[in-house]
Amino acid sequence: MSSAPHTSTDSPPPRRKIIDGGFIVLLAVTLLAAALVTAKYGAAHALATALGALGFIAVLLPKVGAGLFVAAAIPLLLPREKVSALIGQESGWRGLLLASAAGALLPGGPGMTFPLAAALFAAGADIGATLAFVTGWSLLSLNRTLIWELSFLDWHLVALRIALCLPAPLAVGLAARALTLRRRRAGP
Amino acid sequence: MNILIGTVLLFALAALTWHKLATPSSRRAALSGAANLAAFTLPRLFTAMIGAALLAELMPADQIRALFGAGAGLTALLLATLLGPVTPGGAFVSFALAAAALKLGATPAAALTYVTSWSLFSLTKLLAYELPFMGGRTMALRLAISLPIPLIVGAVASLF
Repeated sequence: MSSAPHTSTDSPPPRRKIIDGGFIVLLAVTLLAAALVTAKYGAAHALATALGALGFIAVLLPKVGAGLFVAAAIPLLLPREKVSALIGQESGWRGLLLASAAGALLPGGPGMTFPLAAALFAAGADIGATLAFVTGWSLLSLNRTLIWELSFLDWHLVALRIALCLPAPLAVGLAARALTLRRRRAGP
Repeated sequence: MNILIGTVLLFALAALTWHKLATPSSRRAALSGAANLAAFTLPRLFTAMIGAALLAELMPADQIRALFGAGAGLTALLLATLLGPVTPGGAFVSFALAAAALKLGATPAAALTYVTSWSLFSLTKLLAYELPFMGGRTMALRLAISLPIPLIVGAVASLF
């Protein structure tokens, strides 16, 4: 998981546990895959595959390092309170657009994004803007595309995916507004 | 080439960030934050990358072609949507598996459906982060609205 610790300007970030349930699952899956590859093709092939992956990581590391630095610096440059206050004050189309863009542009994994989404909601953003933010991050996260997606997939495939997903955060936000409005009108 | 472009762009972004931080103390704070983040991320990255490469070796080429190749139609997109949430461990795993499946003959539409479904519905993210922070009702609303997105992306992508 490329998750960032949840940071804010007035409290130091809590130290994340390096080894947690998610990591254990990941390790178990990897060891199982290693055992299966060894059984199927022999230990030499499994080792060569693992070493090939390590070589690939070495090529990616400069990029990953730069991405981690940007992700760590953003909370210092754009305090959460500022972002959530800004989006919380905006409503209508502007709020949706701003929330979608913030989701796409703010780096950080789920450990940073979901607390921020909850903070947006608390700061007065409506459900539409909150879901547009989460969906913008899920589908259009710039950091993830630059670090990971472009390392594995052809750029024209990435461009096609992004073009197709571009309207999604707005659509999800509008649908959420429509649904909650209807529920509010129908229910006492 | 892709990797080089991404690296150059990210270094430019990092340089801009460094410039914007302005004061030595905030730069130090950003660097120590990055070190903490690296301590958390790098072990996962190494494990997941090796795991993804090994899993790619295990992919049965003929089955991938049969399930996700040209002519698999809507079934391929539905199956790709289902596989998204159950992929363990971070963005690189889903992208690595999608790339491996493409090499073995899966259609771009199936690969994009899978990646989109992972982005929206990864169970690791849902259970560890979204449910505790957003609550069940908000999460259910988002899931219900987002459900068709991977299929729409795949269907439109198959026209290209």
